[in-house]
Amino acid sequence: MKKTIRLVLNGEEKNLLVNVNQTLLDVLRDDLGLTGTKKGCNQGECGACTVLINGKPVSSCSLLAVKADGKSIDTIESVAKEGHLHPIQIAFNEKGAIQCGFCTPGMILVTKNLLEQNPNPQIDEIKEAISGNICRCTGYLQIINAIKSLAKS
Amino acid sequence: MRLPEFEYFEPESLEEAINQLAKNNSCTIIAGGTDLVVALKQRLQNSRYLISLDKIPSLKKITKKDDAVIIGAMSTLDDIINYTLIKEKFPALRKAAWDVGSPLLRSIATIGGNICLNTRCRFYNQSLFWRSSREECFKVGGNICHVAKKKNSCVSTFSADIPPVLISYGARVKLVGANEERVIPLENFYSGDGRFPNVILSGSKEILTEIEIPIPQNNLKSCYHKYRMRESIDFPLIGVSVAIQFNEEKRCGDARIIITGAGTGPVEPAQVRGMLLNKKLNANLISDAAEAAVTEIYPFKTTLISPRYKREVAKIIISEAIREVGGI
Repeated sequence: MKKTIRLVLNGEEKNLLVNVNQTLLDVLRDDLGLTGTKKGCNQGECGACTVLINGKPVSSCSLLAVKADGKSIDTIESVAKEGHLHPIQIAFNEKGAIQCGFCTPGMILVTKNLLEQNPNPQIDEIKEAISGNICRCTGYLQIINAIKSLAKS
Repeated sequence: MRLPEFEYFEPESLEEAINQLAKNNSCTIIAGGTDLVVALKQRLQNSRYLISLDKIPSLKKITKKDDAVIIGAMSTLDDIINYTLIKEKFPALRKAAWDVGSPLLRSIATIGGNICLNTRCRFYNQSLFWRSSREECFKVGGNICHVAKKKNSCVSTFSADIPPVLISYGARVKLVGANEERVIPLENFYSGDGRFPNVILSGSKEILTEIEIPIPQNNLKSCYHKYRMRESIDFPLIGVSVAIQFNEEKRCGDARIIITGAGTGPVEPAQVRGMLLNKKLNANLISDAAEAAVTEIYPFKTTLISPRYKREVAKIIISEAIREVGGI
Protein backbone atom coordinates (compact mmCIF):
# COMPACT_ATOMS: atom_id res chain seq x y z
CA MET A 1 0.00 0.00 0.00
CA LYS A 2 1.34 3.40 -0.99
CA LYS A 3 0.43 6.89 0.13
CA THR A 4 1.39 10.37 -1.00
CA ILE A 5 2.80 12.63 1.67
CA ARG A 6 3.59 16.34 1.53
CA LEU A 7 6.45 17.65 3.52
CA VAL A 8 9.05 20.38 3.60
CA LEU A 9 12.39 18.58 3.36
CA ASN A 10 15.45 20.69 4.06
CA GLY A 11 13.50 23.81 3.15
CA GLU A 12 12.11 22.43 -0.09
CA GLU A 13 8.45 21.44 -0.52
CA LYS A 14 8.05 17.85 -1.67
CA ASN A 15 5.30 15.42 -2.59
CA LEU A 16 6.51 11.89 -2.05
CA LEU A 17 4.90 8.57 -2.84
CA VAL A 18 5.92 6.23 -0.03
CA ASN A 19 5.08 2.71 1.05
CA VAL A 20 3.10 2.79 4.28
CA ASN A 21 5.48 0.22 5.74
CA GLN A 22 8.56 2.40 5.29
CA THR A 23 10.07 4.31 8.15
CA LEU A 24 11.09 7.90 7.55
CA LEU A 25 14.70 6.71 7.76
CA ASP A 26 14.18 4.21 4.92
CA VAL A 27 12.62 6.89 2.73
CA LEU A 28 15.46 9.35 3.40
CA ARG A 29 18.24 6.84 2.80
CA ASP A 30 16.86 4.46 0.18
CA ASP A 31 14.46 6.62 -1.85
CA LEU A 32 16.06 10.05 -1.58
CA GLY A 33 19.73 9.09 -1.20
CA LEU A 34 20.13 11.30 1.88
CA THR A 35 22.59 8.95 3.53
CA GLY A 36 23.89 11.49 6.04
CA THR A 37 21.19 10.18 8.38
CA LYS A 38 22.59 6.91 9.71
CA LYS A 39 20.93 3.61 10.47
CA GLY A 40 22.38 2.34 13.75
CA CYS A 41 20.31 0.11 16.02
CA ASN A 42 17.11 0.60 14.00
CA GLN A 43 15.17 0.32 17.28
CA GLY A 44 15.08 3.88 18.56
CA GLU A 45 17.88 3.39 21.05
CA CYS A 46 21.02 4.93 19.55
CA GLY A 47 20.04 8.28 17.98
CA ALA A 48 22.17 7.85 14.83
CA CYS A 49 19.01 8.33 12.75
CA THR A 50 18.11 11.70 14.32
CA VAL A 51 16.33 14.23 12.12
CA LEU A 52 14.60 17.46 13.11
CA ILE A 53 10.83 17.40 12.71
CA ASN A 54 9.32 20.88 13.07
CA GLY A 55 12.63 21.75 14.73
CA LYS A 56 12.54 18.94 17.32
CA PRO A 57 14.91 15.98 17.24
CA VAL A 58 13.24 12.63 16.51
CA SER A 59 14.50 9.08 15.88
CA SER A 60 13.53 8.59 12.25
CA CYS A 61 13.86 4.78 12.44
CA SER A 62 10.91 4.68 14.83
CA LEU A 63 8.65 6.92 12.81
CA LEU A 64 6.56 5.69 9.90
CA ALA A 65 7.14 7.94 6.89
CA VAL A 66 3.40 8.51 6.55
CA LYS A 67 3.45 10.12 9.98
CA ALA A 68 5.75 12.86 8.63
CA ASP A 69 2.93 14.09 6.39
CA GLY A 70 2.52 17.85 6.65
CA LYS A 71 5.66 18.29 8.72
CA SER A 72 8.93 20.09 8.13
CA ILE A 73 11.96 17.77 8.15
CA ASP A 74 15.58 18.86 8.42
CA THR A 75 18.38 16.35 7.97
CA ILE A 76 22.12 16.76 8.47
CA GLU A 77 22.39 17.69 4.76
CA SER A 78 20.63 21.00 5.53
CA VAL A 79 23.15 22.14 8.13
CA ALA A 80 26.13 23.22 5.98
CA LYS A 81 25.20 26.07 3.63
CA GLU A 82 26.76 26.64 0.20
CA GLY A 83 29.79 24.54 0.95
CA HIS A 84 30.46 26.26 4.27
CA LEU A 85 30.33 24.24 7.45
CA HIS A 86 27.93 25.35 10.17
CA PRO A 87 29.59 26.77 13.35
CA ILE A 88 28.48 23.61 15.20
CA GLN A 89 30.29 21.43 12.67
CA ILE A 90 33.39 23.59 12.91
CA ALA A 91 33.34 23.35 16.72
CA PHE A 92 32.99 19.54 16.55
CA ASN A 93 36.00 19.40 14.19
CA GLU A 94 38.15 21.71 16.24
CA LYS A 95 37.42 20.06 19.59
CA GLY A 96 38.01 16.54 18.28
CA ALA A 97 34.36 15.70 18.94
CA ILE A 98 34.33 13.41 15.93
CA GLN A 99 35.95 10.00 15.78
CA CYS A 100 34.31 7.38 13.58
CA GLY A 101 31.62 9.93 12.74
CA PHE A 102 28.62 7.61 12.89
CA CYS A 103 26.88 9.42 15.75
CA THR A 104 27.97 12.88 14.54
CA PRO A 105 24.98 13.80 12.31
CA GLY A 106 22.62 13.03 15.20
CA MET A 107 24.78 14.85 17.73
CA ILE A 108 24.94 17.95 15.52
CA LEU A 109 21.18 18.08 14.95
CA VAL A 110 20.48 17.63 18.64
CA THR A 111 22.97 20.42 19.40
CA LYS A 112 21.32 22.68 16.84
CA ASN A 113 17.96 22.22 18.56
CA LEU A 114 19.50 22.69 22.01
CA LEU A 115 21.21 25.97 21.10
CA GLU A 116 18.05 27.32 19.49
CA GLN A 117 16.10 26.61 22.68
CA ASN A 118 18.86 27.58 25.08
CA PRO A 119 21.81 29.59 23.70
CA ASN A 120 23.78 29.20 26.91
CA PRO A 121 23.37 25.62 28.11
CA GLN A 122 25.01 24.33 31.28
CA ILE A 123 26.86 21.00 31.34
CA ASP A 124 23.83 19.18 32.81
CA GLU A 125 21.57 20.58 30.13
CA ILE A 126 24.02 19.50 27.43
CA LYS A 127 24.16 15.98 28.87
CA GLU A 128 20.37 15.83 28.99
CA ALA A 129 20.13 17.04 25.38
CA ILE A 130 22.50 14.37 24.03
CA SER A 131 21.15 11.62 26.30
CA GLY A 132 19.36 9.97 23.39
CA ASN A 133 22.49 9.77 21.23
CA ILE A 134 25.04 7.06 21.83
CA CYS A 135 28.69 7.55 20.80
CA ARG A 136 30.27 4.09 20.66
CA CYS A 137 33.75 5.61 20.38
CA THR A 138 32.78 7.08 23.80
CA GLY A 139 34.08 10.54 22.94
CA TYR A 140 31.45 12.22 25.07
CA LEU A 141 33.77 14.67 26.82
CA GLN A 142 34.94 16.16 23.54
CA ILE A 143 31.36 16.38 22.34
CA ILE A 144 30.28 18.15 25.53
CA ASN A 145 33.29 20.51 25.25
CA ALA A 146 32.45 21.31 21.64
CA ILE A 147 28.87 22.17 22.55
CA LYS A 148 30.00 24.15 25.58
CA SER A 149 32.37 26.17 23.36
CA LEU A 150 29.33 27.30 21.35
CA ALA A 151 27.50 28.64 24.37
CA LYS A 152 26.95 32.38 24.13
CA SER A 153 28.66 33.47 27.34
CA MET B 1 15.01 -5.33 9.68
CA ARG B 2 12.22 -4.11 7.46
CA LEU B 3 8.63 -3.63 8.44
CA PRO B 4 6.11 -6.28 7.35
CA GLU B 5 3.36 -5.48 4.85
CA PHE B 6 0.27 -3.84 6.28
CA GLU B 7 -2.46 -1.41 5.33
CA TYR B 8 -2.61 1.95 7.00
CA PHE B 9 -5.65 4.05 7.82
CA GLU B 10 -5.84 7.58 9.14
CA PRO B 11 -9.44 8.16 10.22
CA GLU B 12 -10.40 11.76 10.90
CA SER B 13 -12.90 11.07 13.63
CA LEU B 14 -13.13 8.73 16.60
CA GLU B 15 -16.32 7.12 15.26
CA GLU B 16 -14.58 6.25 12.01
CA ALA B 17 -11.62 4.77 13.92
CA ILE B 18 -13.90 2.62 16.08
CA ASN B 19 -15.87 1.41 13.06
CA GLN B 20 -12.68 0.35 11.31
CA LEU B 21 -11.44 -1.36 14.44
CA ALA B 22 -14.72 -3.28 14.76
CA LYS B 23 -14.75 -4.23 11.07
CA ASN B 24 -11.32 -5.86 10.78
CA ASN B 25 -9.91 -8.60 12.93
CA SER B 26 -6.17 -8.16 12.49
CA CYS B 27 -6.15 -4.52 13.48
CA THR B 28 -3.84 -2.52 15.73
CA ILE B 29 -4.10 1.07 16.85
CA ILE B 30 -0.88 3.03 16.35
CA ALA B 31 -0.24 6.12 18.51
CA GLY B 32 3.35 7.44 18.51
CA GLY B 33 4.60 4.06 17.35
CA THR B 34 7.98 4.18 19.09
CA ASP B 35 7.39 0.74 20.64
CA LEU B 36 5.01 -0.69 18.05
CA VAL B 37 7.32 -0.02 15.08
CA VAL B 38 10.08 -2.03 16.78
CA ALA B 39 7.59 -4.81 17.64
CA LEU B 40 6.51 -4.91 13.99
CA LYS B 41 10.13 -5.10 12.80
CA GLN B 42 10.73 -8.00 15.18
CA ARG B 43 7.51 -9.66 13.97
CA LEU B 44 6.09 -9.60 17.48
CA GLN B 45 2.98 -8.02 16.02
CA ASN B 46 1.39 -9.34 12.88
CA SER B 47 -1.26 -6.79 12.15
CA ARG B 48 -2.65 -6.52 8.64
CA TYR B 49 -4.16 -3.14 9.39
CA LEU B 50 -2.81 -0.22 11.36
CA ILE B 51 -5.17 2.53 12.42
CA SER B 52 -3.41 5.78 13.18
CA LEU B 53 -5.00 8.27 15.58
CA ASP B 54 -2.85 11.14 14.28
CA LYS B 55 -5.63 12.93 12.44
CA ILE B 56 -8.07 13.11 15.37
CA PRO B 57 -7.26 16.47 17.02
CA SER B 58 -9.53 15.95 20.04
CA LEU B 59 -7.24 13.20 21.32
CA LYS B 60 -4.28 15.59 21.59
CA LYS B 61 -5.83 18.09 23.99
CA ILE B 62 -4.93 18.64 27.62
CA THR B 63 -7.62 20.55 29.50
CA LYS B 64 -8.66 21.39 33.02
CA LYS B 65 -12.23 20.45 33.84
CA ASP B 66 -13.61 21.32 37.28
CA ASP B 67 -11.24 19.63 39.70
CA ALA B 68 -9.56 17.28 37.24
CA VAL B 69 -7.10 17.39 34.39
CA ILE B 70 -8.18 15.59 31.24
CA ILE B 71 -5.27 14.41 29.10
CA GLY B 72 -5.97 13.26 25.56
CA ALA B 73 -4.37 9.87 24.98
CA MET B 74 -2.42 11.15 21.95
CA SER B 75 -0.66 13.90 23.93
CA THR B 76 3.06 13.38 23.53
CA LEU B 77 5.30 13.00 26.54
CA ASP B 78 6.86 16.38 25.64
CA ASP B 79 3.37 17.95 25.81
CA ILE B 80 2.95 16.47 29.29
CA ILE B 81 6.36 17.67 30.47
CA ASN B 82 5.70 21.22 29.26
CA TYR B 83 2.10 21.66 30.44
CA THR B 84 2.09 24.24 33.23
CA LEU B 85 -0.59 22.70 35.43
CA ILE B 86 1.20 19.34 35.32
CA LYS B 87 4.44 21.02 36.32
CA GLU B 88 2.68 22.60 39.30
CA LYS B 89 0.36 19.88 40.53
CA PHE B 90 1.72 16.55 39.30
CA PRO B 91 5.52 16.54 39.79
CA ALA B 92 5.66 12.73 39.79
CA LEU B 93 3.83 12.53 36.46
CA ARG B 94 6.24 15.02 34.92
CA LYS B 95 9.23 13.08 36.29
CA ALA B 96 7.89 9.75 34.99
CA ALA B 97 7.24 11.23 31.54
CA TRP B 98 10.75 12.68 31.56
CA ASP B 99 12.20 9.29 32.49
CA VAL B 100 10.74 7.53 29.44
CA GLY B 101 13.19 6.70 26.63
CA SER B 102 15.18 9.68 25.37
CA PRO B 103 14.40 13.20 24.12
CA LEU B 104 14.27 11.76 20.58
CA LEU B 105 11.43 9.43 21.55
CA ARG B 106 9.55 11.71 23.94
CA SER B 107 8.74 14.10 21.10
CA ILE B 108 6.66 11.40 19.38
CA ALA B 109 5.77 8.85 22.10
CA THR B 110 2.34 9.36 23.67
CA ILE B 111 0.87 8.91 27.13
CA GLY B 112 -1.81 6.55 25.75
CA GLY B 113 0.92 4.41 24.21
CA ASN B 114 2.80 4.23 27.50
CA ILE B 115 -0.37 3.12 29.31
CA CYS B 116 -1.01 0.40 26.70
CA LEU B 117 2.67 -0.66 26.56
CA ASN B 118 3.13 -4.39 26.18
CA THR B 119 5.00 -6.36 28.82
CA ARG B 120 8.62 -7.24 28.09
CA CYS B 121 10.93 -10.23 28.42
CA ARG B 122 14.45 -11.06 27.29
CA PHE B 123 13.12 -14.09 25.42
CA TYR B 124 10.32 -12.14 23.75
CA ASN B 125 11.70 -8.74 22.72
CA GLN B 126 14.08 -10.21 20.16
CA SER B 127 14.13 -10.58 16.39
CA LEU B 128 12.25 -13.42 14.71
CA PHE B 129 15.60 -15.00 13.80
CA TRP B 130 16.81 -14.91 17.42
CA ARG B 131 13.54 -16.35 18.68
CA SER B 132 13.52 -19.10 16.07
CA SER B 133 16.27 -20.98 17.94
CA ARG B 134 13.87 -21.71 20.80
CA GLU B 135 10.48 -23.23 21.22
CA GLU B 136 7.68 -20.65 21.08
CA CYS B 137 6.83 -19.31 24.53
CA PHE B 138 3.46 -18.41 26.07
CA LYS B 139 3.79 -14.79 25.01
CA VAL B 140 3.74 -15.70 21.31
CA GLY B 141 1.10 -18.41 21.71
CA GLY B 142 3.36 -21.38 22.61
CA ASN B 143 3.30 -23.68 25.60
CA ILE B 144 6.40 -22.92 27.61
CA CYS B 145 7.96 -20.13 29.63
CA HIS B 146 11.74 -19.89 29.14
CA VAL B 147 12.13 -17.75 32.27
CA ALA B 148 10.11 -19.77 34.77
CA LYS B 149 10.08 -23.33 33.42
CA LYS B 150 7.62 -24.61 36.00
CA LYS B 151 5.16 -21.80 35.48
CA ASN B 152 2.02 -22.37 33.54
CA SER B 153 1.74 -18.83 32.31
CA CYS B 154 3.69 -15.93 30.89
CA VAL B 155 5.72 -13.89 33.40
CA SER B 156 6.80 -11.08 31.06
CA THR B 157 7.36 -7.85 32.95
CA PHE B 158 5.31 -4.69 33.01
CA SER B 159 7.81 -1.90 32.28
CA ALA B 160 5.88 1.32 31.76
CA ASP B 161 6.86 4.39 33.77
CA ILE B 162 3.71 6.49 33.66
CA PRO B 163 0.87 4.14 34.75
CA PRO B 164 2.14 3.64 38.34
CA VAL B 165 2.16 7.39 38.82
CA LEU B 166 -1.30 7.81 37.34
CA ILE B 167 -2.66 5.05 39.59
CA SER B 168 -1.15 6.66 42.66
CA TYR B 169 -2.95 9.90 41.71
CA GLY B 170 -6.23 7.97 41.37
CA ALA B 171 -6.49 8.44 37.59
CA ARG B 172 -9.26 6.94 35.48
CA VAL B 173 -9.22 6.16 31.77
CA LYS B 174 -11.96 6.42 29.19
CA LEU B 175 -12.36 3.49 26.81
CA VAL B 176 -14.60 3.94 23.80
CA GLY B 177 -15.98 0.93 21.93
CA ALA B 178 -18.52 0.49 19.13
CA ASN B 179 -21.54 0.30 21.44
CA GLU B 180 -20.53 1.87 24.68
CA GLU B 181 -17.96 3.99 26.39
CA ARG B 182 -16.78 3.44 29.92
CA VAL B 183 -14.54 5.14 32.43
CA ILE B 184 -12.56 2.82 34.68
CA PRO B 185 -9.90 3.28 37.36
CA LEU B 186 -6.55 2.72 35.68
CA GLU B 187 -5.65 -0.20 37.97
CA ASN B 188 -8.61 -2.13 36.52
CA PHE B 189 -7.18 -1.66 33.03
CA TYR B 190 -4.45 -4.22 33.77
CA SER B 191 -5.20 -7.93 33.83
CA GLY B 192 -2.11 -9.38 35.52
CA ASP B 193 -1.86 -11.90 32.67
CA GLY B 194 1.58 -11.64 31.04
CA ARG B 195 0.28 -12.74 27.68
CA PHE B 196 -2.58 -10.22 27.49
CA PRO B 197 -1.53 -7.63 30.08
CA ASN B 198 -4.27 -5.06 29.56
CA VAL B 199 -7.82 -4.56 28.30
CA ILE B 200 -6.72 -3.36 24.85
CA LEU B 201 -4.15 -6.13 24.30
CA SER B 202 -6.78 -8.68 25.35
CA GLY B 203 -8.60 -7.66 22.17
CA SER B 204 -11.44 -5.57 23.58
CA LYS B 205 -11.80 -3.50 20.37
CA GLU B 206 -11.90 -0.30 22.34
CA ILE B 207 -9.83 2.86 22.02
CA LEU B 208 -8.25 4.55 25.01
CA THR B 209 -9.22 8.17 24.46
CA GLU B 210 -8.44 10.13 27.59
CA ILE B 211 -7.02 10.04 31.08
CA GLU B 212 -8.71 11.89 33.89
CA ILE B 213 -6.64 12.80 36.95
CA PRO B 214 -8.20 14.50 39.97
CA ILE B 215 -6.23 17.62 40.89
CA PRO B 216 -4.68 16.84 44.26
CA GLN B 217 -4.97 18.93 47.40
CA ASN B 218 -1.88 20.84 48.42
CA ASN B 219 -1.14 18.33 51.16
CA LEU B 220 -0.64 15.46 48.71
CA LYS B 221 3.05 14.85 48.13
CA SER B 222 4.22 12.61 45.32
CA CYS B 223 7.32 11.43 43.54
CA TYR B 224 8.54 8.78 41.09
CA HIS B 225 11.85 6.97 41.42
CA LYS B 226 13.25 4.82 38.65
CA TYR B 227 16.18 2.45 38.70
CA ARG B 228 17.74 1.35 35.41
CA MET B 229 21.08 0.26 34.02
CA ARG B 230 21.83 3.51 32.20
CA GLU B 231 20.46 6.97 32.81
CA SER B 232 18.51 7.24 29.57
CA ILE B 233 16.91 5.13 26.82
CA ASP B 234 16.10 2.37 29.27
CA PHE B 235 13.05 0.69 30.70
CA PRO B 236 12.83 0.63 34.49
CA LEU B 237 14.32 -2.39 36.22
CA ILE B 238 12.27 -1.17 39.13
CA GLY B 239 10.23 2.00 39.39
CA VAL B 240 8.16 3.23 42.29
CA SER B 241 5.54 5.92 42.52
CA VAL B 242 4.60 7.24 45.94
CA ALA B 243 1.72 9.62 46.68
CA ILE B 244 0.85 10.36 50.28
CA GLN B 245 -1.83 12.66 51.61
CA PHE B 246 -0.66 14.31 54.83
CA ASN B 247 -3.00 15.76 57.45
CA GLU B 248 -2.31 18.86 59.53
CA GLU B 249 -0.26 17.02 62.12
CA LYS B 250 1.87 15.58 59.31
CA ARG B 251 0.31 12.16 59.81
CA CYS B 252 -0.20 10.01 56.72
CA GLY B 253 -3.69 9.82 55.30
CA ASP B 254 -4.14 7.80 52.16
CA ALA B 255 -0.76 6.47 50.98
CA ARG B 256 -0.44 4.88 47.55
CA ILE B 257 2.72 3.08 46.56
CA ILE B 258 2.75 1.54 43.10
CA ILE B 259 5.66 -0.49 41.73
CA THR B 260 6.58 -1.11 38.10
CA GLY B 261 9.06 -3.64 36.74
CA ALA B 262 8.17 -6.24 39.35
CA GLY B 263 5.28 -8.21 37.89
CA THR B 264 3.01 -8.62 34.89
CA GLY B 265 1.24 -5.39 35.80
CA PRO B 266 1.63 -2.48 38.19
CA VAL B 267 1.80 -3.80 41.76
CA GLU B 268 0.38 -2.10 44.81
CA PRO B 269 1.60 -3.75 48.03
CA ALA B 270 -1.66 -3.91 49.96
CA GLN B 271 -0.39 -3.95 53.52
CA VAL B 272 1.71 -0.78 53.22
CA ARG B 273 -1.33 1.48 52.86
CA GLY B 274 -2.60 0.24 56.24
CA MET B 275 0.84 0.36 57.85
CA LEU B 276 1.26 4.06 57.14
CA LEU B 277 -2.28 5.19 57.92
CA ASN B 278 -2.44 7.79 60.71
CA LYS B 279 1.28 7.45 61.44
CA LYS B 280 3.98 10.09 61.37
CA LEU B 281 6.83 9.10 59.06
CA ASN B 282 10.14 8.22 60.67
CA ALA B 283 13.18 6.22 59.65
CA ASN B 284 12.02 2.97 61.29
CA LEU B 285 8.52 3.11 59.88
CA ILE B 286 9.85 3.81 56.39
CA SER B 287 12.27 0.93 56.51
CA ASP B 288 9.52 -1.43 57.82
CA ALA B 289 7.18 -0.27 55.06
CA ALA B 290 9.83 -0.90 52.38
CA GLU B 291 10.56 -4.37 53.83
CA ALA B 292 6.86 -5.18 53.80
CA ALA B 293 6.37 -3.83 50.29
CA VAL B 294 8.97 -6.10 48.72
CA THR B 295 7.39 -9.21 50.25
CA GLU B 296 4.49 -8.54 47.90
CA ILE B 297 6.42 -8.39 44.64
CA TYR B 298 7.40 -11.43 42.61
CA PRO B 299 10.01 -10.42 40.04
CA PHE B 300 11.29 -12.99 37.54
CA LYS B 301 14.50 -12.99 35.56
CA THR B 302 12.97 -11.36 32.48
CA THR B 303 16.01 -9.11 32.12
CA LEU B 304 19.62 -10.01 32.89
CA ILE B 305 19.09 -8.84 36.48
CA SER B 306 18.32 -11.43 39.14
CA PRO B 307 15.02 -11.25 41.08
CA ARG B 308 16.94 -11.09 44.35
CA TYR B 309 18.85 -8.01 43.20
CA LYS B 310 15.60 -6.41 42.03
CA ARG B 311 14.05 -6.97 45.43
CA GLU B 312 17.02 -5.33 47.18
CA VAL B 313 16.92 -2.36 44.82
CA ALA B 314 13.16 -2.08 45.24
CA LYS B 315 13.61 -1.86 49.00
CA ILE B 316 16.11 0.98 48.61
CA ILE B 317 14.17 3.05 46.11
CA ILE B 318 10.87 2.62 47.98
CA SER B 319 12.57 3.96 51.14
CA GLU B 320 14.12 6.83 49.19
CA ALA B 321 10.81 7.74 47.59
CA ILE B 322 8.88 7.72 50.88
CA ARG B 323 11.65 9.78 52.50
CA GLU B 324 11.41 12.30 49.67
CA VAL B 325 7.64 12.81 49.96
CA GLY B 326 7.91 13.00 53.75
CA GLY B 327 10.73 15.54 53.53
CA ILE B 328 12.95 13.37 55.74
